[in-house]
Amino acid sequence: MAVADAPLALPSGAPSHDGKVLGVFTRAQRTTGWRSWITGVDHKKVGIMYGAAAIFFLLIGGFEALLIRMQLWAPRQQLLSADVYNQVYTMHGTTMVFLVVMPIGAAFANYLLPLQIGARDVAFPRLNAFSFWCFLFGGIFLNTSWLLGGGADGGWFMYAPNNGVLYSPSHGIDFWVLGLIITGIASMVSSVNLIVTVLNMRAPGMSMMKMPIFTWMTLVTQFLLLFALPVITVALFLLMFSRIFGAAFFNIDDGANPLLWQHLFWIFGHPEVYLMILPSFGLISEILPVFSRKPIFGYSFIVFSGVAIAFMGFGVWAHHMFVSGLGPTSVLVFSLTTMFIAVPTGVKILNWTATMWGGRLRFDTPLLFSIGLITMFTIGGLSGVSHSIAPADTQQTDTYYIVAHFHYVLFGGAFFGFMGGFYYYWPKVFGYMLSEKMGKWNFWVLFLGFNLTFGPMHIIGLQGMSRRYYTYDPNFGFDIWNKIATIGAFTIALSVILFIVNIALSYKRSKSLPPVGADPWDARTLEWITPNPTPEWNFDPIPTVTRVDDFWYQKYEETADGGLVKVRDAKDIVQDSDGVGVHLPSPSYWPIVLAFGLPIVAYGLIFSWWLCLLGGAIIVTAMFGWAFEPPDDPEAAHGHGHDEAGHDDHGSAADVDALEQEVAPVG
Amino acid sequence: MADTATFEPVHETGRDAAAPHAHIEHDTNTGISNTKLAMWLFLGSECLLFGALLTTYLLYKNPLPGQGPTREQLFDIPFTSASSFVLLMSSLTMVLAVAAIERSDHHRMRIWLGATAVLGSLFIAGQIYEFTTFYAEGLGYTTSRFGSAFYTLTGFHGVHVTAGIIMLVSLLLWSLRGNLPEHRSETVEVVGLYWHFVDVVWIVLFAVVYLIP
Amino acid sequence: MSDAEQSELTPEEQHQAANHRGKMPLLAKIFGVLAVGATTAVLIGSIYAVFDQENKPLNGLNPQGPKAQTIQNLVLPVFVVAGIVMVIVCAAVLFISWKFRRRTDEDPHSMGVQTEGNMPLELTWTAIPALILFAIAIGTIITSLELEPKVGPETLEVRVIGQQWWWSYEYDLDQDGNFDDLVTANELVVPTGRDVNLRITSNDVIHSYWIPELNGKKDAVPGQINDWALRADEVGTYLGTCTEFCGLSHANMRMLVRSVSPDDFDAWVEGQQREAVEPAEGSLAAEGKKVFEAQLCSSCHLIRGVNEAKVEDPEKGVDAQLVSGNAPDLTHFASRGTFAGAIYNSRYPNPDGNDQPYGATCTAEDTDACGEPLDNATPGNPDNPFYAPNVENWLRDPVAMKPMAPLQTENPYADGRVRGMPNLGLSEDQIDQLVAYLETLR
Ligand code: HEA
Ligand code: HEA
Ligand code: HEC
Ligand code: CUA
Ligand SMILES: [Cu+2]
Repeated sequence: MAVADAPLALPSGAPSHDGKVLGVFTRAQRTTGWRSWITGVDHKKVGIMYGAAAIFFLLIGGFEALLIRMQLWAPRQQLLSADVYNQVYTMHGTTMVFLVVMPIGAAFANYLLPLQIGARDVAFPRLNAFSFWCFLFGGIFLNTSWLLGGGADGGWFMYAPNNGVLYSPSHGIDFWVLGLIITGIASMVSSVNLIVTVLNMRAPGMSMMKMPIFTWMTLVTQFLLLFALPVITVALFLLMFSRIFGAAFFNIDDGANPLLWQHLFWIFGHPEVYLMILPSFGLISEILPVFSRKPIFGYSFIVFSGVAIAFMGFGVWAHHMFVSGLGPTSVLVFSLTTMFIAVPTGVKILNWTATMWGGRLRFDTPLLFSIGLITMFTIGGLSGVSHSIAPADTQQTDTYYIVAHFHYVLFGGAFFGFMGGFYYYWPKVFGYMLSEKMGKWNFWVLFLGFNLTFGPMHIIGLQGMSRRYYTYDPNFGFDIWNKIATIGAFTIALSVILFIVNIALSYKRSKSLPPVGADPWDARTLEWITPNPTPEWNFDPIPTVTRVDDFWYQKYEETADGGLVKVRDAKDIVQDSDGVGVHLPSPSYWPIVLAFGLPIVAYGLIFSWWLCLLGGAIIVTAMFGWAFEPPDDPEAAHGHGHDEAGHDDHGSAADVDALEQEVAPVG
Repeated sequence: MADTATFEPVHETGRDAAAPHAHIEHDTNTGISNTKLAMWLFLGSECLLFGALLTTYLLYKNPLPGQGPTREQLFDIPFTSASSFVLLMSSLTMVLAVAAIERSDHHRMRIWLGATAVLGSLFIAGQIYEFTTFYAEGLGYTTSRFGSAFYTLTGFHGVHVTAGIIMLVSLLLWSLRGNLPEHRSETVEVVGLYWHFVDVVWIVLFAVVYLIP
Repeated sequence: MSDAEQSELTPEEQHQAANHRGKMPLLAKIFGVLAVGATTAVLIGSIYAVFDQENKPLNGLNPQGPKAQTIQNLVLPVFVVAGIVMVIVCAAVLFISWKFRRRTDEDPHSMGVQTEGNMPLELTWTAIPALILFAIAIGTIITSLELEPKVGPETLEVRVIGQQWWWSYEYDLDQDGNFDDLVTANELVVPTGRDVNLRITSNDVIHSYWIPELNGKKDAVPGQINDWALRADEVGTYLGTCTEFCGLSHANMRMLVRSVSPDDFDAWVEGQQREAVEPAEGSLAAEGKKVFEAQLCSSCHLIRGVNEAKVEDPEKGVDAQLVSGNAPDLTHFASRGTFAGAIYNSRYPNPDGNDQPYGATCTAEDTDACGEPLDNATPGNPDNPFYAPNVENWLRDPVAMKPMAPLQTENPYADGRVRGMPNLGLSEDQIDQLVAYLETLR
């Protein structure tokens, strides 16, 4: 093969060819307007969009929660019919879990991960954008069921056989299944993407044990997703085939076993609850040291307990099935494995407490939310331990006592952490600070409302109020506590409104102030080495890392007696390059086009096969276009001054950026 | 600033990767390129996908009495063994294709890629034949729990093989158009990983579905 | 702070100044204290409230039978331990927050001792929870084994079948393994002091059987039988609810257990095993019987002695056009105090709530003393007078009384079968006749 000696490609430094790239429409250009959001692949834009979409869905899920609470305000209330109530609470649970908490976790992960590890973007920027659009379209698709015949009505864990067409003839569950498959694709793709990013793209010097804890927890979360999602995907496909093609998987007359669904769902579902909490654990592990002005206590213990939680989390799923008739041995095994998850979780709680010990606590809003998390999550965790005792759980399961448990861990845990994260990272992301004054109001109103809403649920739960009841009788003794809970829910709504008002007012105020400096909190980790808001290119140049709290130890140096002295000012450390010559991945239309095809196919599966064809055509076109589009637009190329930041986006095997650069080897 | 500027950005070396003969030296923390690592992770996740499908099948492998044909009545072990052998051989040709591109032997690589795709298609043809036979013998998708579980499990695998064939054919076409130089040989390798995985899954399926009584 | 002064500050400081103008608002501080106070109050209130068993018929912490008591004995100490852990953690966090808060007069850049960890401490707080849990685990194992249903020669076995949205019971009195001796609905009658083994299953979706005062819950899973033990040592009525989401009327699927003395039980069994009484010739009830036979009623409901012939599948009762294949057996409808998933009274309740033992009565002459059946869901007492209005309304429009899915014409899988009782468009005369007939079915 003589050809083998001939150059197959031009060195990449050579000027690109003029003219149109084969198979590509006019390439999306990096602009500033709304188009930059539609076509952008920048992980920061993607992160922001994740956050914004999740808050939008929070309003929807919260509105549904308010409907639930209004219906339960009094016994025999007639506000919602049984049918509507079932749809509302199902969609509330589904929305909050899949469209609020998971995506907010993804928002922080997307925005912060590359920054915390000193990278310019994620490993596959276009896939990242695709993940977001998939999630957004999946979520919208799911919610359009309200307009097209009603939402799903089987509860968020959608037990078989009640999820079959026989028992739920409306299209609600079809929407639910297909919507979750689509958002599942989003999570799946982004978990691969983020794991590769963390494992492969850390800045020089950043070994695994020097990664910030948020990065660690996100990494663990993504592994949980990676291994839990395929299981629910299978469950969802089985259900879809059953509902749409009449497969026998959950058909009792054909000898189906309804517990199959429960196992598949909870093998996913339990890791799912930990993947909802771990990002928050990561966030407050960033916040607590900053506001205590001390390093995190027991870094490696916090890291490894997170890993341990993830591992153990895969071995406890059947604690949701203690009363399904599993047999005494399995029940006991799962009971005991569940209990011992309290050990690594306790390690985290106590290490956070120790981080605060001896510090100089600065009570800004992020710290308040972190303390809220520690205490409220502990309450939720302890009720969790009381469920894990199988005999006790036979009295508790499917009552409001469980509802109290999971709102304490999800709202008091995950959500409080996210709120802390919002306040802490707002200046990093948007370049202005949220008002502290309103922030404190925000916290206290939320804290009060939260406890008023979910505290009483412990009581009515133990007194026998079952969950998923659209009505209850006056003589059961539930009235008063339900009223308190409803008042509490509106208090929460008030504080959510406060948060949104705070965003708007602080933005207005910030216009009369200079842009916030680089280091508003005297922070510790790498992301604060970049200016606020983060420039498009993140780092220029890529920093080298020596310690966990690298930024901090550039500002402060250890003295002989173990104390710290300030040696440099933040503004002297923070990068101020103009990013000239940094080559970033180019924007692209294809991620959004490809993602758009999926709900079309899904509508097709429900309503008409023709739509499937249309959606399929969109998908194939998008894949083709994507494959032939170089990740970096040769026409938009900056000079190769520094380095290629957009590590090749091998979206598919077909990713041939040198399409027109290469000479065919004639064999 | 000054103290960080002196360091070479980590991904610098990727820049000249397109130079002749240079396999992409992805300077990543793990030493494995992003694409390959991503494929490994994806395959790890696929293991659970097939695990869950297989569990479902094991639960439902016997139809209720009177609900259509059983495994013993349907399975044609010699036939399926033959098609399994075909698929197994395709792994061999895939190895040869990867080896060829690493030697810059584009011609051979195309031959082997083509052979792999053909063998894969043969397997799929066999599966289609098998499905139609079973259907003719009375096992529809909704006939029994066995029917649903069997078609879903093997169907999922078939779709994976088909996707693999599409990738192989695309590679072949690209190579013919001269777009698959050595420094892209990793693409072939990554597709190869996927292909081997799909083969291994079939070995497991074949053993569990067809051989174990 | 003047503008000139402000520009001396770094941007961070300007932002902080803007933020801290006026420090933390006093009002927010007060509010914060209130919030913590309210929270604590709710939590303490809950301890009281949980043990407040007055008028809490579903309270799981008010054991009336040995099984529920066993659970209680395990769970109370656990609550205490959990409470202690909670108080310790919360108190520690609050104390630390107070003790190590940055004082206003302090240099904002001061910092505490820079500790990064402490191995012995870490090991301690890994070990202590592990030890506590170890103890709890042992208790769990012992209790679980103790709760396992054991079937002895004395055990009364009853098959419990959940269906949308009511429960049926089939007794095996002669212990031949066939549950064909007695069929009833919604109300389970058991003798006191005798172990009962429930063989729980379902005819359609998953339900869950739960009588909180007697034992925890157990799912009714179609195609599977779950054993569950019950025993009531006192005469009484124990309310229960379905606790696994089972569709539209999940919230209206209740049941109750009446424990009666062994003698009363035998008498009850004898009564139930009889065929339906024949109404007197020419009476309103006799008309009702004709309506029952002529109308669709008899295609779903069984009245032994009337439409036995229609039974095609002895497992499933009559050949009903129902997804579950079954509707309540009406042979002794009037011997029960409640109907339609035990949410409505067919008889007057006892005035003092549902704790009255079986047998206490009020009289037909003085129904004012019987309690108000519609507005008070206290279960009716079978010895009290019949309360017709509920039953009339039920026949007038059952779907209005209880959400059900009686029309499934759109549903390709339903094959004409319905879930729940449809509105049969009966005339008022027919209703009167039917109610009169039903009342005779003691
Ligand atoms: C963020 C989500 C999240 C988290 C973190 C948890 C954490 C835990 N959960 Fe929870 N859980 C849910 C979300 C979550 N859960 C949801 C959504 C459901 C309901 C699903 C549905 O039915 O709809 C549920 C339901 C659920 C059940 C099933 C109940 C039922 O339906 O019958 C059980 C049973 O064991 C359980 C147990 C636990 C345990 C033991 C923990 C542990 O991880 C908690 C550990 C933490 C602590 C214990 C506190 C800190 C520890 C210390 C301070 C150390 C000292 C402690 C001791 C010595 C005890 N959970
Ligand atoms: C992270 C998850 C999460 C979050 C944050 C919440 C938040 C809330 N939840 Fe939710 N909940 C679940 C997850 C969550 N929930 C799950 C998984 C279930 C189980 C579902 C099932 O059984 O299948 C459940 C079930 C559940 C029930 C039980 C229903 C039943 O069993 O019958 C109740 C009852 O009170 C409830 C209440 C609330 C309330 C009052 C809030 C509040 O905190 C919400 C507060 C937020 C707002 C109030 C938003 C602000 C809204 C506005 C400002 C209104 C204006 C908006 C518009 C006009 C668009 N939830
Ligand atoms: C298609 C089936 C069907 C027909 C026809 C039908 N019913 Fe019903 N009936 C049911 C079902 C199902 C229930 C249980 C509903 C529930 O509680 O959820 C029920 C409940 C009842 C009850 C309450 C029983 C109890 O103990 O809870 C009475 C009384 C009753 N029906 C009477 C009648 C009469 C009288 C007719 C005829 C005029 C009739 N039914 C026709 C299905 C039917
Ligand atoms: Cu039956 Cu809920
Ligand atoms: Cu769980």
